[in-house]
Amino acid sequence: MMDDVPYLHKTYHRSKTVVVMFLCLAVFAVLMGRLVYLMVFQSEYYTMKAKELHERERSIKAARGRIIDANGKILADNRTVCTISVIHSQITDKEKVITVLCKELGLSEEYVRKRVEKYSSIEKIKSNVDKSIGDAIRAYDLDGVKVDEDYKRYYPYDSLGSKVLGFTGGDNQGIIGLEVIYEEYLQGEAGTILTVTDAKGVEVAEAGEERVEPVGGQDLYISLDMNIQSYATQLAMQTMETKEADSVSILVMNPQNGEILAMANVPEFNLNDPYTLPDTVDSEGLSEEKKQELLNGMWRNGCINDTYEPGSTFKIITAAAGLESGAVKPTDTFNCPGYIMVEDRKIRCHKVGGHGAEDFVQGTMNSCNPVFITVGMRIGVERYYSYFKQFGLLDRTGIDLPGEAGTIMHNVENIGPVELATISFGQSFQITPIQLAVTASSIVNGGRRVTPHFAVKAVNSDGTNSHVFTYPVRDNVVSKETSETMRYILEQVVAEGSGKNGAVEGYRVGGKTATSQTLPRGSGKYIASFLGFAPADNPQVLAVAIINNPQGTYYGGQIAAPVVRQLFENILPYLEEMDYNRT
Amino acid sequence: MAQRNSTRTRKSNSENFMDYSLLFIVLFLLGFGLVMVYSTSYYEANLEWGDPAYFLKKQIFATILGLICMMVVANIPYHFWERFAVIGYIVSVVLILLIIPFGKESHGAKRWLYIGPLSLQPAEVAKLCMILFLASMICTMGKQIRFRKGFWTVMLVPMPIALMLWRITQNLSSAIIVVGIAVLMLFVSCPDYKRFILLALATAAAGAVVVFTIVKMAEASQTDSLDFRGARILAWLDPEAYASGKGFQTIQALYAIGSGGVLGKGLGASMQKLGFLPEAQNDMIFSIICEELGLFGGYAVIIMFIMLIWRFMVIANNAPDLFGALLVVGVLGHIAIQVILNIAVVTNTIPNTGISLPFISYGGSSVMFLLIEVGLVLSVARGIRLKDL
Repeated sequence: MMDDVPYLHKTYHRSKTVVVMFLCLAVFAVLMGRLVYLMVFQSEYYTMKAKELHERERSIKAARGRIIDANGKILADNRTVCTISVIHSQITDKEKVITVLCKELGLSEEYVRKRVEKYSSIEKIKSNVDKSIGDAIRAYDLDGVKVDEDYKRYYPYDSLGSKVLGFTGGDNQGIIGLEVIYEEYLQGEAGTILTVTDAKGVEVAEAGEERVEPVGGQDLYISLDMNIQSYATQLAMQTMETKEADSVSILVMNPQNGEILAMANVPEFNLNDPYTLPDTVDSEGLSEEKKQELLNGMWRNGCINDTYEPGSTFKIITAAAGLESGAVKPTDTFNCPGYIMVEDRKIRCHKVGGHGAEDFVQGTMNSCNPVFITVGMRIGVERYYSYFKQFGLLDRTGIDLPGEAGTIMHNVENIGPVELATISFGQSFQITPIQLAVTASSIVNGGRRVTPHFAVKAVNSDGTNSHVFTYPVRDNVVSKETSETMRYILEQVVAEGSGKNGAVEGYRVGGKTATSQTLPRGSGKYIASFLGFAPADNPQVLAVAIINNPQGTYYGGQIAAPVVRQLFENILPYLEEMDYNRT
Repeated sequence: MAQRNSTRTRKSNSENFMDYSLLFIVLFLLGFGLVMVYSTSYYEANLEWGDPAYFLKKQIFATILGLICMMVVANIPYHFWERFAVIGYIVSVVLILLIIPFGKESHGAKRWLYIGPLSLQPAEVAKLCMILFLASMICTMGKQIRFRKGFWTVMLVPMPIALMLWRITQNLSSAIIVVGIAVLMLFVSCPDYKRFILLALATAAAGAVVVFTIVKMAEASQTDSLDFRGARILAWLDPEAYASGKGFQTIQALYAIGSGGVLGKGLGASMQKLGFLPEAQNDMIFSIICEELGLFGGYAVIIMFIMLIWRFMVIANNAPDLFGALLVVGVLGHIAIQVILNIAVVTNTIPNTGISLPFISYGGSSVMFLLIEVGLVLSVARGIRLKDL
């Protein structure tokens, strides 16, 4: 075909053009291969990378499980609150947005305008807004205004059982109390919203969102009885005011199974506003550190976190050890001249003139120090210490609240006769109120050391998947006989002895009073306390009242015993009516 | 080829030949380009200009203007332009120099001249004028081109323009295209192969040395003292390591291409165009085509360009004279190099350099001058006397 081309268009021009064409084809083939590599073999990798780039993850808080009392009353709940934000790039009617937000949220125009006009992807205007206000704002259907719902912990009874329940922080995580111990049951699983956004973070509407629904936390059913708790709190408040005491704690538990029915520690604090110090504290000009210290003090649960010298209530333990070891029999007789010599030390009885001749039961009724010192001496250091250990006094009780304090006790090799004497009537060592209550429980309930607790079960909000909590019980802490004798003696204490102010008409109550001087000695500060239980022959409820630094009369028998009496007068009929704890 | 064209003889009674295949391919590419410009730009156009069709409208205007120019040029015998060859060369030089005082800066480089509302890239003018000048010059030289002196003369002619484009307008890719056009035209007009093979090997070796030196320098210095283009080379070798800097555009383009997969996300469904790949309607449009239309869409575009190049080859080989053939080879070279460079950049096959995809990327002066070049080719095609085939 070249031959009939007449002009100087040479053959090589044509062939070289063809070569150019094929060179191009070769390069295109390489590029097409490259595309296959990128779009088939590497596709998964780049798709994943691109998805990461395009999706914004927002978490949806899970509703925290509620805390529910023994009667089904809700002690800790969730309230839906709203967070109002604006997305600058989506706002169409700026002035209207500003007007509406000012009106509905009660904010100054200057404040709102600054945020609405700020060029940012999303700007928060106000959080923790009531749902009704959030709904009202949503009803305006304004472009660029976002109303996000959120859960906030809410405590319907404000300060009731504050130190037991505890509260939650900004991310709904438990900070103190049951809220922190049962975090894993209460918290649930947060959900997520995956939103597709453009490079500026603006949501792409047509792409929709991918939602992983949150799983709500489990409701926690606790043994605390709101009625008993509120009555105990009232009593404690009243006592604190009339006795001008620093603080008053009342602990009510079931000695048979360790369930705690009430634990009031006044002053309590408002769970819905846990970061505000009481009005009595001048928080002006306090350093953050100092303020936090005061808050920690306010949140402290005296029944658990603090130790004290139990004083005469501890004679229950000395008596039980004496009876159990055979060192003393109820019929043994003693003589109290008003003091007792231990080595070269003269230890006085609280009755200066002495109790004279008395048997062991009478000695307990009189809370006679020489009697218990004698019993302690008869038991001896080694045996006493081993009972101390056997009763579980050296271990923590294992209560389901955080920060339980341990016992402060002498080392066994440091216990001489004087130390043994003081230990015998409850001085020179420290235990927590809950420790005293649990140890007394095991002595009067037939010798079973129970674990004090609140949590009964955790149940999903739809009633499924319930988890019943079980707690260890240690049998034979004391023999049944010793336990029975102790119940008899302690009933006598209330019926006719130093605890007679704890007697409740129509009920058999056992108990023991105590008046202990706080350290340092001679400060003039006392702790008055009373431990009572009923019915005395088959204890179903055990209460401890501790009055810290009362003014005026400070004897446990005179001020603490009446508190427990009033408590029992109210709750014993109530417990019978509720058919409580019939196992 | 002769046979294929002879079928056309029977269809057409006219003496002169109008290449409808070429016209159709170009119109298809333009139409497809407009669809893709709209698809890639509407989101950002709406955000920035409040009009989703902002870029589309401008592109339609330029395309119509370009088509008119194309038809005018196609109906003028191409020898008419031969007399403007030298003037064209001078005009190119002047326009590029005008950039220094009057250039409009954009993206850190001065590349545009504004004449009233119209913008003009001197680089586009330079490419067209270079084709015309070299075609004319090679024809005048005759057999001299076979000798070393002729060869080097042709090689040196584009160099001033290329250097000016590179240094003044910071446009390395246009410089490469201008030189590339010259080399291809020289290659076709010279019977020799050896020199070209040596030239290709020398270029490849030089490239390898440059890359190697830069990598070694980067390893030794540890600092970011490397210049603009040095960093580009490093970003090419490992774009993810430079993801927030020089490798950003490349990475975003790769995300787009890779996430497209075989079938693509569907027309309009690109995510990367939502600001992740800035100005996706420009140089990186091919990555969005891949993301939306998948491997098949990407292949369709490449195949259309192969068909276009094939048509150019057919016309060049049947051109009535060497001048016409060289004009077509120049245009072929221009479009082929630009397409190859663009796709190679977008797929990170070569280091990133700003270059648009002919007929498809957004850009008024680019599409106008490309259509004028197509007009020239059509004019050459018209000169084919069918009875000669």
